[in-house]
Amino acid sequence: MNAEKSSGSSPQIYRKEVVKTVNKTFDRYASIVFLVLGISLFFYSQTMKASVGSVVGPEILPLFFSVALIILSIINLVASIRSKAENKKGEKLEYKKFFIILISTIIYSLLIEPLGYVITTFAFLMVTFQTMERGKYIQSAIIAAAMSFGVYYLYVEVAKGSLPGLPSFLGF
Amino acid sequence: MESLHYLLNGLSIAIQPFNLFFAFFGCLIGTLVGVLPGIGPISGVALLIPVTATMTSGLPMEQAATSSIILLAGVYYGAMYGGSTTAILINTPGENSSVCTTLDGYQMAKQGRAGAALAICAIGSFAAGLIATAGLVFLAQPLSEVALKFGPSAEFSLMILGLCALSGLAGKSVTKALIMTVLGLLLAVVGVDPITGVARLTFGYSELYSGIEFLTIAVGMFAIAEVFKTILTSDYVSGEVIKVGKVMPTRKDLKDSAMPILRGSLIGFFKGIVPGSGATLASFLAYLVEKKVSKNKENFGKGAIEGVAAPEAANNAAAGGAMIPLLTLGIPGTGTTAVLMGALIMYNITPGPLLFQDHPQMAWGLIASMIVGNFMLLILNLPLVKVFAKVIETPPKYLIPGIIAVSIFGVYAVQLSVFNLLLMIASGVAAYYLAKNDYPIAPAVLGLILGPMIENNLRRAMNLYNGDYSMFLKDPVSLVFLIIAFLWIAVPVFLKYRGKNVITEEEGV
Repeated sequence: MNAEKSSGSSPQIYRKEVVKTVNKTFDRYASIVFLVLGISLFFYSQTMKASVGSVVGPEILPLFFSVALIILSIINLVASIRSKAENKKGEKLEYKKFFIILISTIIYSLLIEPLGYVITTFAFLMVTFQTMERGKYIQSAIIAAAMSFGVYYLYVEVAKGSLPGLPSFLGF
Repeated sequence: MESLHYLLNGLSIAIQPFNLFFAFFGCLIGTLVGVLPGIGPISGVALLIPVTATMTSGLPMEQAATSSIILLAGVYYGAMYGGSTTAILINTPGENSSVCTTLDGYQMAKQGRAGAALAICAIGSFAAGLIATAGLVFLAQPLSEVALKFGPSAEFSLMILGLCALSGLAGKSVTKALIMTVLGLLLAVVGVDPITGVARLTFGYSELYSGIEFLTIAVGMFAIAEVFKTILTSDYVSGEVIKVGKVMPTRKDLKDSAMPILRGSLIGFFKGIVPGSGATLASFLAYLVEKKVSKNKENFGKGAIEGVAAPEAANNAAAGGAMIPLLTLGIPGTGTTAVLMGALIMYNITPGPLLFQDHPQMAWGLIASMIVGNFMLLILNLPLVKVFAKVIETPPKYLIPGIIAVSIFGVYAVQLSVFNLLLMIASGVAAYYLAKNDYPIAPAVLGLILGPMIENNLRRAMNLYNGDYSMFLKDPVSLVFLIIAFLWIAVPVFLKYRGKNVITEEEGV
């Protein structure tokens, strides 16, 4: 039903349709991962015995869920092997942009405590703004500065919340 | 007329200046969330949980929860208003629930009737919002009184039913939906077991002792995953927005859409009550019904105002209807209500039958605020629709990194832990790939929320019945719930096996 919305005569199609076919390879690997997860949880839950406690021990639900996961992933695995659906064709995805932004986000998370909120947020925004689209450096810098200082000021000064401030080695 | 008395009490809470401001802020953000493609109601609500937690941090617990939920619910139904704006002006639904609105709405806009279409959307949404809230007023109290009589075994089975309902309709494959549900339940197991003190699946990480934080997973799986999807598929809005023109509808427009709005509202409301079928299905159904009953069927798809009025009314009414199972039974039927439930649990308030007894201020304050909020949205949307149309042009260059920065800020501000930031990013990447391959996300988040409550009820029931598991089948109420749960999963599978098309709800990523 999603196909209807963009296949019309309209000259403006903004959202690229993500082709919805089955990705059998993904399904197979995912099922195997879930199956392994289920089996290891099944054995792991045997170790969760409590010395004291209730009629329903801590191992009951994990045990039950792991069995459910094992059964479901086997069904899914069989379904993906027997499936006659078209395999998903490789779509053109913006992997480069995605990886730069993903890695920037990870670095941002790791540095937020040592370097403080304002510096890391500003740097993160500058990098990702430019990754999304090159140019307009001054506009980017103004927006990045406004967001990082603005959030810090509103949250720490006005709302009295707590965020890592400027790094201590700067002497503030 | 006990309900009306409660409602008046609730109204006195809803019109306190602080709550009035929260409702307004929620509706405003909701409308923006609705207008901006790339961010839907679920991620909007998830992103605002930390913001509201900060804003209410100085208040007593119950008051803080009331104000927060008023704001978050405002985002939810506000997004239903906003979603139609982009559907009409650029043929792109801001939300999945507005897909139907593009069919006739965009055609109307091309004929120079964008203003009329937008006005009818606002009016239809308003009427539907009021109808749904009225339904909520009269159904909530009696339903929760019935639910209060449930024993622990029935409550356990009811939660199983809730999980099955969301899974049965959540995606293309029931198996995949169930896998996601079980994964969510397994995530809920992580942490120190509150009764026996045994550390489960923590692998020695002290951050995991208190369990996996719902907020981290919700922001990661909805907001971050949606952003990643937008980046990878270059799913941006660009190009020209159709001029809005005169916003007032003509008398004929109003007359033509009165009945569709009423029908759409009723369809939406009842569809919303049923767990697992939310706003998207409701709007499709309302559109199909209008097409059936209309005298001039050939107009549909060419700018029929009925085709705009009915689905928009339906998706708003569904949002209101979906609050009923959440508030009275503690069973969220949609992804967004699941996130709302998680937010309430963060404030130590568990939605369910006891809500109206233990926290009447909160429950009725919320319901009353939905009435107030609908008036606000009407006022916001009629004159300001041109301003919101401008918002569509926000460059993705700034929007996308901005959403990531807000997610990081929100999760860090509440959890103060880098571990949670990394968990959020990881769950975002995982959710993107899973959702892309038709593994729905909402059931996993629901499993994470309901997991502890399921275990709790299981324990209460087994302590009561001395570990006799057959009690779940001997208790008639519990048995009925389990049978319905089974049918919910089995019937779609059976229909698919017979080659029938099953329409499924798609929400969020």
